[in-house]
Amino acid sequence: MIATKLGEFYRDKDKRWLSIWVAGLLALWIWDLVFLNAPALARIEAAFVNTLYAGALVVFMSLVFGWAAGVGLHFLDEARNRSPYIVLTFFLNVIRSIPQIVGILIGYVVITFFIEQEALQNQYAQLFWMSFVISLFVFLEVVDLVRDRIRYFAASDFYPAMLCCGIRESRIVNIEVLWKNSRAHLIHKLIAIFGSAIFLQCSIDFIISVGLSTDVSSTNFPVTLGSLLAKMDSKQDILAIGSLFGDLSVFGRLLTEHLQGVSVAVVIVFSLLCIYQISNGFVKRNSL
Amino acid sequence: MKRTILEHLASILFVAMAFALVLGYLKIKEQEAEEARTSLVGPYLALNIDFGNPMHVAMFREALNQFHPEDPAANDSILQAINDFRMLQFTNAAYKTGGEERGLSWTKATRLAWMYLQFIVVYALVMVLTYVGAQSLAVYRFIKMKQHGTSYLASFVESLRDRRSRKGGFPISTLLFLLLKALLKGVAYTILFAPAYVIAYSFKTRIDTDSLLFMIVLGVVSNGLLINYANKFYAFLAAESRRGYVETAMVKNLGSSYAWHVPGGLRYRAILQPATMFPSHVFRHIYMNARHQYLPALKEHASFLISGLIIIEMALNIQGHLGYELLQNILYRRYEVVLAILLAIFLVVKATEILVDVWTHNEARRYENA
Repeated sequence: MIATKLGEFYRDKDKRWLSIWVAGLLALWIWDLVFLNAPALARIEAAFVNTLYAGALVVFMSLVFGWAAGVGLHFLDEARNRSPYIVLTFFLNVIRSIPQIVGILIGYVVITFFIEQEALQNQYAQLFWMSFVISLFVFLEVVDLVRDRIRYFAASDFYPAMLCCGIRESRIVNIEVLWKNSRAHLIHKLIAIFGSAIFLQCSIDFIISVGLSTDVSSTNFPVTLGSLLAKMDSKQDILAIGSLFGDLSVFGRLLTEHLQGVSVAVVIVFSLLCIYQISNGFVKRNSL
Repeated sequence: MKRTILEHLASILFVAMAFALVLGYLKIKEQEAEEARTSLVGPYLALNIDFGNPMHVAMFREALNQFHPEDPAANDSILQAINDFRMLQFTNAAYKTGGEERGLSWTKATRLAWMYLQFIVVYALVMVLTYVGAQSLAVYRFIKMKQHGTSYLASFVESLRDRRSRKGGFPISTLLFLLLKALLKGVAYTILFAPAYVIAYSFKTRIDTDSLLFMIVLGVVSNGLLINYANKFYAFLAAESRRGYVETAMVKNLGSSYAWHVPGGLRYRAILQPATMFPSHVFRHIYMNARHQYLPALKEHASFLISGLIIIEMALNIQGHLGYELLQNILYRRYEVVLAILLAIFLVVKATEILVDVWTHNEARRYENA
């Protein structure tokens, strides 16, 4: 009975990869517990929790902004006066044309300004605003999805039939189309956004810690996987990977002596790979 | 089409104007801050006094106390302000420009233009390579799916199970080969998903990571760019293959075998040149329709690709490149240069978007006329 249930569970690619992700991270944590010094392990744990927290916030904010903007655009598109629709579309297209990393970098410069003015001191508030900035540049994917789903149903009989039954259009769009019939699509998009958020956050924190270290550094930004990887000792650990190509015997030392950098790099790459596979598996399971 | 191009031009104009406004605001703020800083100490600094000389400072303090004996604390504050101002000249990053002038001079603009040109060349090359690479990967994955191929690891485990239950299975050498292939696939996936800086730092001790060639290779394979767009193209191929016209074409005897190198099947070249191969195979039509849907995604691809290139240049501190220059100018608060670089990057994205829109429009017209 348990074996059958387990078999069914593992047939679904998304569930299988979710368990691989959790098991992999757990195995790495146990390994670090044995071989890594306590302060470094504490830093990795804090960085991982902060990164996940920020990623989850990005997902939540992208959903809220994307849903609101997508539904708002739909109603503005149908309104008699189309100027607000044109203006909003124009602004969204401008955001779309700004490479994410550039937009996020500008956002971080603003956050730094507030940190320097001592207007933003709480670590969780800083993470919140960092996530807000990232979500500004990824939420458009949710907007496009919401618009596509509404268009898809509007073209079928489903939508006009409900209108004829006297159901409010806002209810049809928000409840019937998006909540009841597009939840799987939205979850899939949010999984992909979670992956993008982790990648963007790690990259921007790495860049900032490496390049803007005099003004902005891990001392005034909460530690994340990206900023931890940018620390000198982590970078030395990653550099040590290069010596593997000439001398395979270094491999053992890499797993015991260069653990901080290697662990952070593994967590980032492994998480991105697993999130991608979970997203693909989710598409397959729900036939999206 | 004209409307779309007008929209693009309007957004370029809008962003340029917004940047000009921001620059104007920052200039005013900077001027105000400078005035506030120098208003108190300015008149004293203009005097012929060496504030680095303790004797001059002592004489200055005595002179101040002679002229304003009523408030010695205020005199001390003036001296403190002068000291702070002088210290700022040595410690503030904004003044430590490495001998470079502030503002956007002609020399600096020429240097930036050269970097920009280099950036565009790298961008164009990576764009073409990822476009072709993503399609090839997607086509390979699609054909494998049509061939009902299982993963190397699954085949290995299954064969091992068969051998144990004495039902046959592959010989040991094949099993080892399967395991090796699974391992290589794992390494390939690790590279494809790794952020550029992780790969670059891993190879830094072995190869010159500052070279243009390495940057192009890194731009193509890292940051998940290739794998994500391959996945997107694969999704279009898979969706297209489920359409009714595919079954109709198969009923009408269009080639539909996905086996390698058999009559009516596919050749390996199909992976690299799917557009030019096999007019009588249904795959060509699936591919052409999927590609048509994929074209608009190139706009998003452009933005993501530029993000990747900037990450590489900034994270690896590759001097003499646009991304590095942008970071340095943010650090030293040379806002004219920062905004000029940002506008230039925005123009690259916009140019790509216009090209993609024209391309998509022409393709659509060709299909409509056909």
